[in-house]
Amino acid sequence: MPLSILLPMVVLGIAAIAVLLHLLGLSRRATLPDVAAARAAWLREFPTDAPIHVTLCDNRSAALIATETGRGVVWPMGADTTARYLTGARLTATSSGLRLDLPDYTAPCIHIALDSDEAAAWQDTLKETA
Amino acid sequence: MTDMITFPDVVNWAVPLFIAAILAELLWIVTKGRGGRYETRDALTSLIMGAGNVASGILLGFVAYGFFMLLWEITPIDLGTSIATIALCFVLDDLRYYWVHRFGHRIRWVWASHVNHHSSQHYNLTTALRQTWTGTFTFMMVVRAPLILLGFHPAMVLFVGGLNLIYQFWIHTEAIGRMPRWFEAVMNTPSHHRVHHGRNPRYLDCNYAGVFIIWDKMFGTFVPELDEEKPDYGLVRNLGTFNPIRVAFHEWVGIFRDATQPGLTWRERLNYCIMPPGWSHDGSRETSSAIKARHVRDHPEHASTPGLPPLPDHTP
Repeated sequence: MPLSILLPMVVLGIAAIAVLLHLLGLSRRATLPDVAAARAAWLREFPTDAPIHVTLCDNRSAALIATETGRGVVWPMGADTTARYLTGARLTATSSGLRLDLPDYTAPCIHIALDSDEAAAWQDTLKETA
Repeated sequence: MTDMITFPDVVNWAVPLFIAAILAELLWIVTKGRGGRYETRDALTSLIMGAGNVASGILLGFVAYGFFMLLWEITPIDLGTSIATIALCFVLDDLRYYWVHRFGHRIRWVWASHVNHHSSQHYNLTTALRQTWTGTFTFMMVVRAPLILLGFHPAMVLFVGGLNLIYQFWIHTEAIGRMPRWFEAVMNTPSHHRVHHGRNPRYLDCNYAGVFIIWDKMFGTFVPELDEEKPDYGLVRNLGTFNPIRVAFHEWVGIFRDATQPGLTWRERLNYCIMPPGWSHDGSRETSSAIKARHVRDHPEHASTPGLPPLPDHTP
């Protein structure tokens, strides 16, 4: 197939599918309805390191996890979730909450939506970790 | 030896079919409320990975093709281009695919290229297009060398490889449950391939087939989809980014970081490249075998069930 046809078809095809998905409401991010869900999301990634404490943020978008190994975070990846330990994380307060920069090529930056009180509490807790 | 043979570039010609099928699957899921899930950023990443795969083929395809033409120059055998030869080439190339795919899960250097295909937590037709950008660097083109040396023209080998890839597109769906029993027995199907994409311990490292599932049954790597255990899609450690660059290169970065850490022997550095994913010099990580063994320790009732080992023998 000539590149002059293939290239526009691929670009327009990808754009059209992405726009359609968004218009269908399929861009919604996952939420963690309760502590049990946050705990399950953590164990899905780290099944051998059970949480001993879970701090679910008010808007249910993420959770701070404490285990015997250390602290970690669960957050949405689109309609699903993932989790990481916070060893070596750098915290920055933003207008919408916290930005966590991790020394991890597969999860370099996490934006957590928190109100100012929550952000301050998370920062205090994580000072021990960073 | 004839070297002016041309075959259609079937993968590129299939692009309109891919787009139409994705739209049809999406319509089915939205209207029926079942048969899979879509999410915008996940699908967009998969589609960009697919486009990047085509681009890398255009940019780097000459490496493999040059290698194949070199082999074609030296082989004394030419099996021609009859329908029977093409059919035989298709079957043998599918056997080649099985082994390349198996290496892709068992050798970290090859996994670094293939991992992106498993990096979506979704399983839909866009996942089929989440393909590697770095396949050339795995040097797995050498596994095709016997086909060329046996007298199959390089253009034919690439043609049947394209057909193989197109076949595998439709099996990346949850919209199809199971095919008729005879079909499930011989062919790779959505059910068999869902298992391959599962991150459940029992579903790790199995069902490597491209078109014919018989290879897995022959070589002992077949695991059926169990009604009581739905596949959980994605990686053992799921990515925290949709950035296609990071999706494409993250395992290569991981290999580089692991193999260049201070204090290792050269053997350990090499092992970070060639041992199965999850291997580590200090045993601090888990391979799929270790994950399966741990699962059986935690769930002894699952021991010796499909995809899982027996309980360790503790008799003295």
